Amino acid sequence: MALKGGEAGFSRKSRASSEIPTSSLADIAFLLLIFFMVTTVFRKEKKRDITWPKAEATKKVGEKRKNILHVWLTGQGNVWINDQNVPFDQIAQFVRPIYAENRQLVIEIRADRDVPYHMINTITKQLQAAGAVRVVFGTRLAQRVQGPRR
Amino acid sequence: MPLLNRRERVDDEIPTASLADIAFLLLIFFLTTTVFNEERGLPIVLPEQSKEQAVASKNIIFFLVQPDGRVVVKRGQSEETQTVTADQIEGIMRQELAANPNIIAAVKTDPNAPYRDMIGVLDGVKQAGADRISLQMIGED
Repeated sequence: MALKGGEAGFSRKSRASSEIPTSSLADIAFLLLIFFMVTTVFRKEKKRDITWPKAEATKKVGEKRKNILHVWLTGQGNVWINDQNVPFDQIAQFVRPIYAENRQLVIEIRADRDVPYHMINTITKQLQAAGAVRVVFGTRLAQRVQGPRR
Repeated sequence: MPLLNRRERVDDEIPTASLADIAFLLLIFFLTTTVFNEERGLPIVLPEQSKEQAVASKNIIFFLVQPDGRVVVKRGQSEETQTVTADQIEGIMRQELAANPNIIAAVKTDPNAPYRDMIGVLDGVKQAGADRISLQMIGED
């Protein structure tokens, strides 16, 4: 409370500071900014163009992002792992070293909903051969009201 | 009068009033441009290779997914089959689970059946609460 004028007894107005102290606001904002920048993990992988199959039982995968490996299967029948086009018969070879490095690995199969099932079967067989048995079939949540699932 | 002014007062402080604005702008920019990777789907654990188990046939129910999207249901012990659509699977599986909690749902899919039909059946089985699921392909063993 600053007093105006020299004579304390005669000062009429007490001047409480009417401004919100904003000097530390920048610090707070930058702290938040740096926190989010540091905790963000970028995934370099390119998204493939697929139509997701729908499922009502879709659940979130409770696994850290670094423990998830995506196996993309496009409608044209191409398999993409870590942005590399992998032939069907080499998936096991490709996944084995990745799995050896990280035993927590979960494979998420992101396949187009219209691919014939034998492709999926080949992928699961290859994953079994690589020892990676924890698999998630990537789906999107279906609404019950949509009618028959197709 | 300007001429008599001796001292020029240069402000020696960096103006920091707008710093907070800049920082929040950046913060909000990064918050809104961040795309969270959504990892969602139907989890399943495949059997380890060469660890196939023999199962009593009374504990199995087969769901044979046909290329046209119909599903043939076959109980392990009987030869009797029943043709249903994908949305009936959940109800059937619930009944089976209530009758026998150890039952294994074997989803056998035709090689040429579309993936989404197999997911539809797997979805029904999962919705019913089954956790013992086997994935197979018709014509392979």
